[in-house]
Amino acid sequence: MIRFELPTEEALLLKDTAERFVADHYALEQRAKALSAAPGDVPRHWAEMAELGWLVACVPEDAGGLGLTPAQIVPMMEVLGAGLILEPVGAVSLGCAAMLARALSPDDVAERLAPVLAGEAIEVVVAGRDGAPIAARREGGNLVLSGASPAVIGAAAATAFWVVAELDGSRMLVRIPAEDAAVTPCRLVDGQAAAQVVLDDVTVPADEAISGCHAALDFGADLALVGVLAETSGVIDALHKATLDYVKMREQFGRPIGRFQVVQHKMADMFIACEEARSMVLLAAEAMESKDAAFRGKLVSAARVKISDAARAVLRDAVQLHGGMGVSDELAVGHLVKRLLVLTQTGGNRAAHLKRFAKAA
Amino acid sequence: MTDLLNAPEDSAFRAEIRAFVEAELDPATRAKVSRGSPLAREDFLRWHQSMHRKGWVAPGWPAEHGGPGWSARQRLIADEEMFRLHTPPLPGFGLKMIGPILIRFGSREQQQRFLPRILSCEDWWCQGFSEPGAGSDLASLRTRAVRTDGGWLVSGSKTWTTYAQYANWIFCLVRTDPEVKKQQGISMMLIDMAAPGVSRRPIRLMDGTDEVNEIFLDNVFVPDDLVVGEINMGWTYAKALLEHERLGIGGIGRSKHLLARVREMAEATGLGDDPEISARLAAFEIDIMAIEATTLRLLAAAEAGRTLGAETSLLKVRGTEVQQGLTELMLDIAGPAALPESAGDCADALFANVAYQFLNWRKLSIYGGSNEIQRSILAGQVLGL
Ligand SMILES: Cc1cc2nc3c(=O)[nH]c(=O)nc-3n(C[C@H](O)[C@H](O)[C@H](O)COP(=O)(O)OP(=O)(O)OC[C@H]3O[C@@H](n4cnc5c(N)ncnc54)[C@H](O)[C@@H]3O)c2cc1C
Repeated sequence: MIRFELPTEEALLLKDTAERFVADHYALEQRAKALSAAPGDVPRHWAEMAELGWLVACVPEDAGGLGLTPAQIVPMMEVLGAGLILEPVGAVSLGCAAMLARALSPDDVAERLAPVLAGEAIEVVVAGRDGAPIAARREGGNLVLSGASPAVIGAAAATAFWVVAELDGSRMLVRIPAEDAAVTPCRLVDGQAAAQVVLDDVTVPADEAISGCHAALDFGADLALVGVLAETSGVIDALHKATLDYVKMREQFGRPIGRFQVVQHKMADMFIACEEARSMVLLAAEAMESKDAAFRGKLVSAARVKISDAARAVLRDAVQLHGGMGVSDELAVGHLVKRLLVLTQTGGNRAAHLKRFAKAA
Repeated sequence: MTDLLNAPEDSAFRAEIRAFVEAELDPATRAKVSRGSPLAREDFLRWHQSMHRKGWVAPGWPAEHGGPGWSARQRLIADEEMFRLHTPPLPGFGLKMIGPILIRFGSREQQQRFLPRILSCEDWWCQGFSEPGAGSDLASLRTRAVRTDGGWLVSGSKTWTTYAQYANWIFCLVRTDPEVKKQQGISMMLIDMAAPGVSRRPIRLMDGTDEVNEIFLDNVFVPDDLVVGEINMGWTYAKALLEHERLGIGGIGRSKHLLARVREMAEATGLGDDPEISARLAAFEIDIMAIEATTLRLLAAAEAGRTLGAETSLLKVRGTEVQQGLTELMLDIAGPAALPESAGDCADALFANVAYQFLNWRKLSIYGGSNEIQRSILAGQVLGL
């Protein structure tokens, strides 16, 4: 079933628009300007991104999307990752919209998703620490939610949250307008806008909760993670390229440092890490098409473990081989490193993924 | 953490250090150091002054120049206790670098003029060795000095100069003879940062700080009496300097301090008993023990009269690897809590500096002779390859 199909024309088109967008809007100086905005502002290029079709890419056609498979959006997400974009494309389109398209009833989908897909409203999923659901209790005809999530990407400018809640041991989705939560906007170390979201006895009518959506929730969490992994693979690749260029150019002891064998071996290891990372993203992305959630989860976890190891190794060597320049803020390297740090710290820790992998048959 | 330096006389010495620190260290500064936060100039200075009053700032200096007369073993113990008690590090470029150079190679006047001001920290020194084109290959440096009446005119630029924003003096390597083999035409000069022609540009680092700088030297006049030792002997002095304090290079105190902090984080998050985390913590403790045992073994050999050679490079390589590894373990313990910018409103106090320190400490394997260069030294000078 895993075929490693080459990207379709549609996928290549998306990737091209992403490349052009990054080239036009994300030079380091332009990015620095965007970073001076308040984290709670609507992200600078949001409307344009919606128009380019990035938000609808992975949403099924009958819910108003393009219906691309997860594997087909990997090339685009790689470019957006390496481009260090500051807009929460993955969180909104993969983590939220694509999941909601599967969780909502057919009657609801179009109406609920339209403003999100059009880029008019930003909505993201909120769960507790490490993706665990937020506790809910019943009071009369209402549900009362309490819990906190420390750093939710995209939440700073969101108009509503889809909270993954748990009542009597079963998970459900509850939509909460942003004004009902305590939202503290902040930036992450790589500059992305996020927010701490605290729900302090937030009350909603029980019949508004969407239950019976386990499968969609699991699918959504894994799809969001595949998006993160694709971005990671893009960043790893960009770091490798930047470092390769640097070691060919930087001279010490009368020759390019890339002529020293230890440097060559590090570059070769970095290349291996890049290739493995890309393979594992595609493997996980194709596995997302399976109806077997355990199989999907197993491969996504495998990809997560391999890619976070690759990311650490590449990060270390990329900085190291740039010498002092590597720790400076002046080259793309430092910024890529910080994005990598953020990407590898989200989506569950290594031990948890190893466990899920080992438990799956 | 197991301490290997635990003979009865070691414990007495430890207790003396501890009592002093407990009495003297300002709790706010202490808290900053314990969290790994960046320190302000005053944090360094206040502690330096306390230590100076006690006569402890220069453990490596001979007593006649103001050292406390500690043995190498006592210096290791003091270092360990200071880290354990979260004291700020003492500004090192005067005490550990140019001070010892002047003691060995400086003129009587230079010693009298500069050494007391290093001890009191009235002068803050920075190190102007590296240049944009001369990093690992330091001997290829191009900043040049041209002979003039009564001294030299120096032009060029230096880079990665740590804390130059705090410094009022810089010791530089400059090329005084472009005709000879590159190591042989280098001299060491002392330059007043306020001298005409000296300017500075801060370099922003990826962790958001600017602890390093670029220094521009534009026809700066350096009188003859500020040249260290002999003209064209600078390379020899610089090498002697890099060999100085070799046994401290493993940073055992720093590693133990960090390990303790990572343990605290693990406990605070309920991961203290997690099998994976506790196994990794134990492995780091053993790594540190191995570095310490190796240091002590080399120390014993040195005290028995053997000259230490390039093998001490191994301490730098392993020490920095362990320290960087510990910053990765901190990240793994913190998870997403490491991500908010430490200045923002979402930062969790326990983890506020975790990402910052991970990023900042990438420097450990780059500066002071990168780890690749250290391994080449081991291969070439020790193994004869
Ligand atoms: C935070 C920080 C503070 C610093 N503070 C000071 C200071 O106060 N004063 C000062 O003078 N300098 C300072 N330095 C400079 C430091 O000493 C240099 O960065 C270091 O010597 C490396 O030089 P480079 O950055 O030019 O890297 P390069 O020499 O360009 O090296 C780049 C990479 O190539 C590798 N490499 C180079 N040559 C070889 C070889 N022959 N074989 C194998 N690998 C090789 C290196 O290991 C490194 O990984 C500081 C640096 C940093 C990062």
